Amino acid sequence: MTVALPLADELAAHPPEVLLVDDDEVNLLLTAMALRERGFRITESSGGEHALKLLADWAPDIIVLDAMMPGLDGFATCRRLRAMPGFENVPVLMLTGLDDDASITRAYQAGATDFFVKANQWSLLAGRLQYLLRASRTRIELERSQAKLARAQDLARMGSFDWRRAGPAGSGGSLMLSAQGLRVLGHSAGDHVSVRAILRLVQRAERRSVLRLLQGVVLHSSVLATDVPVTLRDGRQRIIHVEAEPEFNEHGHGVGYTGIVQDVTDRRVAEDRIRHLANFDSLTGLPNRRQLVWRMERAVEHAHRLGHACAFLLIDLDRFKIINDTLGHAAGDELLMEVAQRLRACVRHSEQVMEGALEAVGSRAHRSLEAVGRLGGDEFIALLPEISDERDAQRVADRILEVMRDPVLVGGQECFVTASVGIAIFPRDGSSVADLMRNSDVAMYSVKSQGKDASAIYSPQLAGQGREKLELESALHKAIERNELVLHYQPMVDVRSARMVGAEALMRWQRGATLVPPGDFIPLAEESGLIVPLSEWALREAARQARIWKNSFDFDDAISVNLPSRMFERSDLVDQIHQNALAYGIAHRMVQLEITETGLMKELQSVIPSLHQLKDINVEVAIDDFGTGYSSLAYLTTLPISELKIDRSFVRDLGVTPQSSGIVTAIIAVARSLNLRVIGEGVESLRQMEVLHRLGCSLMQGFLFSRPIPPDDLELWLQQTVLPRRAPWIGQANELEFGGPPPRAAGGRPY
Amino acid sequence: MTLAPQPQPAAPASVLDEASLQRLHELDPQGANRVVERVLQAFEASLTRLLPQSQQAFQQGDHEALRHVVHTLKSSSASVGALQLSQYCGDIENRLRLQQADGLAQRLSALNAEGERVLAAVRSLLP
Repeated sequence: MTVALPLADELAAHPPEVLLVDDDEVNLLLTAMALRERGFRITESSGGEHALKLLADWAPDIIVLDAMMPGLDGFATCRRLRAMPGFENVPVLMLTGLDDDASITRAYQAGATDFFVKANQWSLLAGRLQYLLRASRTRIELERSQAKLARAQDLARMGSFDWRRAGPAGSGGSLMLSAQGLRVLGHSAGDHVSVRAILRLVQRAERRSVLRLLQGVVLHSSVLATDVPVTLRDGRQRIIHVEAEPEFNEHGHGVGYTGIVQDVTDRRVAEDRIRHLANFDSLTGLPNRRQLVWRMERAVEHAHRLGHACAFLLIDLDRFKIINDTLGHAAGDELLMEVAQRLRACVRHSEQVMEGALEAVGSRAHRSLEAVGRLGGDEFIALLPEISDERDAQRVADRILEVMRDPVLVGGQECFVTASVGIAIFPRDGSSVADLMRNSDVAMYSVKSQGKDASAIYSPQLAGQGREKLELESALHKAIERNELVLHYQPMVDVRSARMVGAEALMRWQRGATLVPPGDFIPLAEESGLIVPLSEWALREAARQARIWKNSFDFDDAISVNLPSRMFERSDLVDQIHQNALAYGIAHRMVQLEITETGLMKELQSVIPSLHQLKDINVEVAIDDFGTGYSSLAYLTTLPISELKIDRSFVRDLGVTPQSSGIVTAIIAVARSLNLRVIGEGVESLRQMEVLHRLGCSLMQGFLFSRPIPPDDLELWLQQTVLPRRAPWIGQANELEFGGPPPRAAGGRPY
Repeated sequence: MTLAPQPQPAAPASVLDEASLQRLHELDPQGANRVVERVLQAFEASLTRLLPQSQQAFQQGDHEALRHVVHTLKSSSASVGALQLSQYCGDIENRLRLQQADGLAQRLSALNAEGERVLAAVRSLLP
């Protein structure tokens, strides 16, 4: 018994259900008994009709049919049951007579699984049944696993194929695609698809290169793995990944390929998205720094190899920081997006993501590098990969300046933004991307320092200035934290009473051994936005000094602090002053603010709210450099200000040109009519003092009285000059007997 | 029909093959399932029915029906050891399949005679 053990085990675990059909009672009985003996569960049936009736509501594991039966014979019964749902694959064993070849053939035709020659060799019959049952189970498992595989492939949008190459006789090659493979290619299961038909799906632009690739792979019998863009018959555009390995015959000749096709469109879309995120600025959609640098490097390589010039245009927005600070980041973003759109229109902008090698071939490939990208913040770069001379770059720069001059609508408000463009040209202005970027930066800075809204091409002369400025800017960043900033004070005096009536705080930068004058770093601070922290520091420091003086000599007037107009646009200004006053225990009025007339008029609408709030907490505001800014007098009447400071240029010319005294007279008249204090700045000589006083202005400030000096020196000045009434201007002042606005300081104080 | 179980099984021995009967016994060595008895009973019933059917089919010239009868009888008679009968059946079945109708009457009467002998032997074995 060769099958004894496994057979017995299998049968014990799951006794198979057998339907045994035979019209001969003797055979039926014997066979049934023999099989029962061997562990099968037998249901007997004496004929075809009866058997089919049983099968109507019962399914055995296997059916044994006697071929020759009266009525419905074995063949007819088999045919009928095969037509019944669920019985397509049930194993059917046909019992035939010995030497009955015709019956054997008929049995298979009727759908029998196998035949068995009738004999009383029960063990053989049992073994055969067991074998059929196993085959059936294997088949069921196979079908299940195929279904699973098909499902998995469907989910993965994957299918398999098998391609046999054409024989040497020229018999055509053949392509077999699984149902899933057909589906991936937009066909229905069962369609016959030729290689030619599939190649037609490849998008036209790619067809030639795909064909070339395939021919190369087949020629060398190498492994195929590629992604192919296709347009399916229904018009859907997909990306199909094809991967296949060559098959060889016994002589080692490649005879074909087996492999898979997979729809990887979704994956590719995701990959493209990732690549896009890595290479493009998410706000503006322009190439980012990384992508730009890559393109610039390729552009320089190409230009070097082909001997032409290329240009980098560094574009920096002129007023972006102000807009960002005042209208908020959302508005800033909106502005950048609009600017990006406009800049993009100025070059032949290429959207392609570039990485690795330049894909296009030919000597013109570098032209696809052309783009505008965003370096970060409000800095952009236009890359011109081929120019014939610098005029080409200049033309693009002009176009950029032109498109930027149109107002930009941001948050429902029209903004004016201009740009400063610095141009560097390869190979003249540098041989590496780093050099060219630095030099375009130098050129851009030179535009900034010369009034912005223009372009400049790099020249070595610019380099010195630019570098100095860069160093200055980065040093200024650290000046506050290193305590390098100091305030010097220039006293304001009332010449009638020969008293100090206040002091103007002026910022100095103690940079190492040198004292940097404000003219050298305040414009830079304004430009870079550093002016804000500088101003905040000055307000704090002035409050602190007021407290010290209050303690040391009963100071009770105001220290004036110069603020840029943008500080007045900040909503936290009033709060800061309040906090400072609180912190140092001084009255709010002891810090006074100065805003230039030009600054005030430029941002009038956004400054006015602050002026009112300041007035509410008794902080006075003076208009500095008055007379230079073409103020509308109508505005002056409504502004909550306290003081006009006559610009030093008019004071300087007093007694020299008749016009200047006319202007000063007018200013003093205006101040009087508006009930404002008026003070003359830049008084350097007794003559100027005299004239000014005669015109009705007794409050003055200038070298005649004192230069701006450190706070300790100011105390000294008070003690040694004012109190002993020793200065030349004091004697002079006492002799003047003109009236004027009431002196600001309350009388009786010792200074 | 009235045969009582006899102590001497001499008569069946010549008609029914001893080895075949032995195989039947082996299906049920202890006799717990009365296998031999049930098989012989079934065969007796079948033979009683089929022998007249063969005559009838022959007289009606229905060779197809006759072939069915001898086919069935061929395997069941072999099962109980009626080898001569089985051989007659096989012979006739073959001839009918090859449509060699000559001598059919004699062969059939030989078959029937043998059938009667087998029947008698079987009955002698039944209780």
